[in-house]
Amino acid sequence: MSTTSVVEKDAQERMVDQAAEKGRSRPVWWLVFIRELADLWIGGKALNMILIYSVLMGIMVYVYSYNSELSLIPPKEMVYEMLKNAMAVSLFIGLVIGADMLSGERERNTLESLLLTPAKRGQIVFGKFLAGISPWPAALLIAIPYLIVVSQGDEVLGPAILWGAITGSILVPAYTGLGMLVSFWSSSNKVSYFVSLGVYILFLVPAQLPGRAQTGAAGQFLQWVNPLAAVNHFLSKHLVNYRTIAEFWTWLISPVAFAALVLGLLFVIAGPGLRLEAGRSIKFLKRLGSRTSTVIILLAILITSVYPAMAFQTGNTQAENLSITIDLDTAIVKTGDKVEFNTVVTNLGSSPSLPLIVAMNIINLNAQGDVVDPEDWSPQRTQYSESLAPGGSISHAWIINTILDGDYMVYMVLIPAPGSVDATSHPVASPGIHLTVTQFTRLNPGGVLPYAIGGPVVVLIGILVLYRIRRKQVDND
Amino acid sequence: MKSNNNHTAAPKDQREVLVVEGIQKMYGNRRALKGLTFTLLAGRVMGFLGPNGAGKTTSIRILTTIMEPDAGHFTVDGIEFDQPEKIRRKIGVLPENLGFPRQMTAVEYLVYFGQLYGLPPQSAKTNAMRLLNVVGLENRTKSLISSFSHGMRQRLGIARALVNNPVVVFLDEPTLGLDPRGQQELLLLIQRIAREHQTGVILCSHMLSEIEGICDDVIILSSGQVVAQGAVNSVIGDIQRNIARVRVPPENVDTSLELLSAIPNVFKVSSDPQMRGWLSVELADFIAADSQSGNLRNAILKVLIQSEIPVLSYEAEGGRLQDVFLQLTEEVIK
Repeated sequence: MSTTSVVEKDAQERMVDQAAEKGRSRPVWWLVFIRELADLWIGGKALNMILIYSVLMGIMVYVYSYNSELSLIPPKEMVYEMLKNAMAVSLFIGLVIGADMLSGERERNTLESLLLTPAKRGQIVFGKFLAGISPWPAALLIAIPYLIVVSQGDEVLGPAILWGAITGSILVPAYTGLGMLVSFWSSSNKVSYFVSLGVYILFLVPAQLPGRAQTGAAGQFLQWVNPLAAVNHFLSKHLVNYRTIAEFWTWLISPVAFAALVLGLLFVIAGPGLRLEAGRSIKFLKRLGSRTSTVIILLAILITSVYPAMAFQTGNTQAENLSITIDLDTAIVKTGDKVEFNTVVTNLGSSPSLPLIVAMNIINLNAQGDVVDPEDWSPQRTQYSESLAPGGSISHAWIINTILDGDYMVYMVLIPAPGSVDATSHPVASPGIHLTVTQFTRLNPGGVLPYAIGGPVVVLIGILVLYRIRRKQVDND
Repeated sequence: MKSNNNHTAAPKDQREVLVVEGIQKMYGNRRALKGLTFTLLAGRVMGFLGPNGAGKTTSIRILTTIMEPDAGHFTVDGIEFDQPEKIRRKIGVLPENLGFPRQMTAVEYLVYFGQLYGLPPQSAKTNAMRLLNVVGLENRTKSLISSFSHGMRQRLGIARALVNNPVVVFLDEPTLGLDPRGQQELLLLIQRIAREHQTGVILCSHMLSEIEGICDDVIILSSGQVVAQGAVNSVIGDIQRNIARVRVPPENVDTSLELLSAIPNVFKVSSDPQMRGWLSVELADFIAADSQSGNLRNAILKVLIQSEIPVLSYEAEGGRLQDVFLQLTEEVIK
């Protein structure tokens, strides 16, 4: 034990006090952020998860290229699928890290010493949150080489990275914040993980419902209100189906609202009330109840006012007053290629139309008129539009991914949706596209292999470098 | 235990660093604290005693602003309890179960906490090195905390509690799990910190001998209420029971019972059926003054020696803090 004298200590303390007056202290959120960052990335769970993520991405890109069926998927769709999976894994990482942030500290008995400092609770939570979302930029960076590989030079790459970054930067903070909120209310890590993973699965469930359950007003609403499904729908429409942002921006409302709700709860309500025990303050619950109900009411008003599918209109236009045209007559392509075209629906009548459905049909001419299941050929068999005003028109973009060689006729049918169970309507057929599919092409799996293996190897090297740097910083006794 | 403690009464001119008045806390329908009131002076070590569930941890959590009281109030160095952030700048705490980030070094840990208290990086580092020197970890500054023994972690915890030069330090079971040498070193360190820095120290412990060894004052809690408080000697003196325990060879028990019962002012003599050879000699209640009690105790020994009965052991029951603790907490439980 040291025998430093009182005089010596006082002198040292004075020195510290003087230095404190001269130097600049750093904000608490920054200190906590740096501390948590080191904890997550130096031998921590973020590093391990990112390594697993890179391996998963490598496997995925290799499977896409190796499996001849999958490799026939057009680049746009492959990019979309890769992006969707990258985001799903990133959200999982964010949620798991968030779920450990507070309850984990409680369980490891490290939270109390932090709460005993004069640091503001809100700043502690903010610093932790920033560290919690740190794996997302790394995950996005790791995904880019894989997206480049599967895009095969397609122009979808730029928008995919841009919109992936934007939507991911909305969802990842929201999911991480959600994990932290659950963690805030959980006294044990087990409960926190269990609840967080339950919520994660809950958001994934709508995508697993049968196709019919995902259509119609209720199905569409369910997708629209689910932030993950809404983002996937938006990306799918914009990246794969050439739909404009102006058409589908409303699908970003629920992710933004979800993020705002979660982060609002985290920083305005939960953060300042951070304490050693989990969710046992009656005062706090009352405060939370009143504020949350206000937010929910405002959110409900927002949803009902902007959800496009809820704004049903009825019309009585006869089918004869509708027309549908296609901007393509013939096309000669190879298997694996994509055919893109647009249809225009016009209301020639003098009153608003019924809501309209445009359905794609493909007939195999070589096989004496066999019907081809468009589900295999196109990411979208039908498209829906609201009632058209008199004289109004609407354009739809379509894609056909050619699967098998042959001679085909593609045509569209415009169906006005009947307004009631005892009403019907008159479908209208479009001109056809004579489609000749000649030959087979696919992605070379050998060329993809270096990327599939290289990604995880680069991450692993990064981990080893970090480990080595850390070893030099500490005494290894 | 060696210590320089003489359990002196508090000098009147010492500063009051912690004043607690009527603190109460309910958990549902159960009253965990029933009007905790005491004052801690600068430079003094106060022992906080009580059986499990007595309200020690609740008291510490309230006084360290982790929990709010339902009634009552307290001040730390003159700062009212409703200003928790200001109070946290004045206190240092070693919680009972303190976890450490395993991937940090000792100096990184203290620098981090120093900065959380507002020190700039360089000052925080200087402060950290000084504290590691104070707690005897100057040779392990760059070692990972995961490589530390339990005793070293406790010392690091104490260093962390001192990182802001607190006026009051709360130490909850600081010696738990330490070997005897480690316990002694840590207790001497605590006493030195109190004396040299004029810091008020609240020491929570189940180890009554260590409280008795280094504390100036003591508070005994039972079922949420204070059952004794004051300078250690004073508390022991108030409760001291006039019982002497004598051990003689088993074959001399009957003779000894007769001889001792015949001594004037000996109220009752009994033998312990469980521990053959042990006799309990209860002195009359009015034997209170030290001189009277001492003479009578000498008389007990004299009678036995004159009768050539070997005295194998002798102790005055009720002269230790442990006896006081057991008696008071037992009374409250009853």
